[in-house]
Amino acid sequence: MSITTRNNVQVHGTGPTTLVLAHGFGCNQNMWHYLLPLFADRYRMVTFDLVGSGNSDSAAYSRAKYGTLQGYADDLLEVIEACCDRPCIYVGHSVSAMIGLVAGIHAPQHFSAQVMVGPSPCYINDGAYIGGFSRTDIDELLDAMASNYLAWSSSMAPTLMGVANGPDLGGELTTSLSNSDPAMARHFAEVTFRSDHRADLPRSTIPTLILQSTQDPVVPLAVGDYLREHIAGSILAVIENVGHYPHMSAPVESAAAMSAFLRQHAL
Amino acid sequence: MTVPLISATEVVERAPCGLLAAGPDGVIVRINATMCGWLGMQPEDLVGKKFLTELFTVGTRVFFQTHCLPMLQVQGSVAEIQVDVPHHDGTRIPMLMNMVRQQIDGRCHDEVAFFITKERRSYERELVQARKTAEAALDARRDADSKLLEMNAALSQADRRKDEFLATLAHELRNPLAPIRNVIELLKLQLPPTEQATRPLAVLERQVGHLRHLVDDLLDISRITLGQVALRTERVLLAATMQAAADDTRPLAVAAGHRLHLALPDADITLDADPTRLMQVILNLLNNAVKYTPPGGDIWLGACFEDGQAVITVRDTGIGMPQQSLSTIFHMFSQLTPALERSQGGLGIGLALVRGLVELHGGSISAASEGVGKGSRFEVRLPAHTSATVAPQPAAPLVLPVAQRRILVVDDNVDVTDTMTMLLETVGHHTAFAHNGADALSTAARYRPHIVILDIGLPDQNGYEVARQLRLREEGATVFLVAATGWGQDADRERARVAGFDLHMTKPIDFGKLQAAIASLP
Repeated sequence: MSITTRNNVQVHGTGPTTLVLAHGFGCNQNMWHYLLPLFADRYRMVTFDLVGSGNSDSAAYSRAKYGTLQGYADDLLEVIEACCDRPCIYVGHSVSAMIGLVAGIHAPQHFSAQVMVGPSPCYINDGAYIGGFSRTDIDELLDAMASNYLAWSSSMAPTLMGVANGPDLGGELTTSLSNSDPAMARHFAEVTFRSDHRADLPRSTIPTLILQSTQDPVVPLAVGDYLREHIAGSILAVIENVGHYPHMSAPVESAAAMSAFLRQHAL
Repeated sequence: MTVPLISATEVVERAPCGLLAAGPDGVIVRINATMCGWLGMQPEDLVGKKFLTELFTVGTRVFFQTHCLPMLQVQGSVAEIQVDVPHHDGTRIPMLMNMVRQQIDGRCHDEVAFFITKERRSYERELVQARKTAEAALDARRDADSKLLEMNAALSQADRRKDEFLATLAHELRNPLAPIRNVIELLKLQLPPTEQATRPLAVLERQVGHLRHLVDDLLDISRITLGQVALRTERVLLAATMQAAADDTRPLAVAAGHRLHLALPDADITLDADPTRLMQVILNLLNNAVKYTPPGGDIWLGACFEDGQAVITVRDTGIGMPQQSLSTIFHMFSQLTPALERSQGGLGIGLALVRGLVELHGGSISAASEGVGKGSRFEVRLPAHTSATVAPQPAAPLVLPVAQRRILVVDDNVDVTDTMTMLLETVGHHTAFAHNGADALSTAARYRPHIVILDIGLPDQNGYEVARQLRLREEGATVFLVAATGWGQDADRERARVAGFDLHMTKPIDFGKLQAAIASLP
């Protein structure tokens, strides 16, 4: 099983520098659909599915390996080694921002910069730290996921109920957006929402852009400030957006913030 | 009959499902009476005031954000999403939600339908719970399995360390035995042949002999376990080996007041076996019988041919064994358990070694006893042939009066060189000694020995290297080279031969054999 098959690696656009984009929890690489065209003329872009999501090879899944974000970080480094002959610009959404953080601490030579979209180092409130959720909230969330994953494939299938304007993506893409394996997705949810990478933040040495939405129901604004304070040399950009997916609901604004950051670092 | 006219608005308001619409910013713009009733709230508390997501519990809200919204944007609708919606009084109502995103004037509006699913949810909760329990059990099982594997690995590791420890221990125990035996041989030659002098010496010799056997057995069994024993197989006539074993045991049996009965097989049974090891097997069984039979007993050694196998039996009228011991007596340390009424102690090495040797030969061994005090019967089965003719065993060389030789003894153990040179001088040879390789070479150049007895484990260089260098020199070309090693493995023998040794002997050197070898030199 090659790395590119295992992680369903796809390459888009052309350019001297490569962006490696990793999707967040509950989704797959198709979520980059709106952002890709905005960079395609300047950058080569590598998108892939985390193992257990999208069209990755589910046979590669193991509860032991993916019991912490380290397993995903190891995969990410393999994807980068397989696809890039120079340091890349890494763009990670949500949990993948922390996966990139772990990978970047381990092998900083592979990264020239990283963009964290809607990141959170810890979702659970802890003393003065505001993660946004209590432990009970997270338990309830995992419970909500568990009951939904029971009938996941049918509930998330693209039943088009007389949508006036039709879906934005073709049928093939929408199908693959929802085909996570329920058991793996549930495990991933536990690993994601119970993770705490606050102690890793000061160990990052890579130029970092923290991209936050003004109203992200998953990550409170205070988390952005916390990240900026704890990651040396990081920049925080807050864009006007409601939701956890600024690159989907506000792709132009997201791309503008990213471009400004990349220009600043001459990338 | 007139049908009452019901307005579309009324249908929507009283529909058997909750309906609402949210604007582009996610704020509720319409909500029907059914939904308001379910929530225990008035429309004016909600419309224009609350976000759709504010109707959900925290967990549902995150699920909605991470899973439903991207789907909604990409495919325009989601269906059958399970959500928890709190009533105004705080109770949670499980609902199923369908949602469609409509574009109106280029802006997104979401239309949502809710259905209460209390019954269905409780059933699904049971499913989820059952699944969780099953997964927890599976995880626990996996953990237990992996722990078991780890423990097994640790145990094998410990077992292997034990075997290596025993092998090293036996090897270390052998070293001091060499000078002790030499001194005994020396005293035998020097002391007057009076009862007073020879009796304590005989005790000493016998006990050192026992000790050596014990150490040899221990070394052998640990090597068998470590897979380090290679057989030097040849065609062996069973009757000859049995005769030799009986002859060897007879003095011991007679001393204990036993009668030893030997019944040689009628036909010529031959085995492909290592003759030394086969002898060791039979001797061990006979010695065991002598040891565990009260004075005045009977011991039988017999053999027959059965189904392509030689069946060798050793029977006695000894103390016998309880049934429960029969399966364990061939394990090492089995005699540490006080199972035998009259325990002779011991580590139980002998029988474990016998089994190891028999199995190396592709055979099997079993024990039988009718109980404590009723004697024992051991049966060894080995692959065999009948009626093949085998050349008669050459007679052991006799020890002849010897010509005087110059002998150089090289060993880093001063006690070994002291006692060996004394012994050799007592029987009429001339000797020199060295304690390392460099001294050995310079002494050889000066002393011009006929024979060099060379220890392999020297402090500066190994004996093989010394031998090679010696062979290249004028004084070493024709010298008779004897290698003395503590390990006595076949690989050592081969290495010794390649290095130019004429003879390989295992420490402690059997002085009788050494004398015979020296005597046979031209």
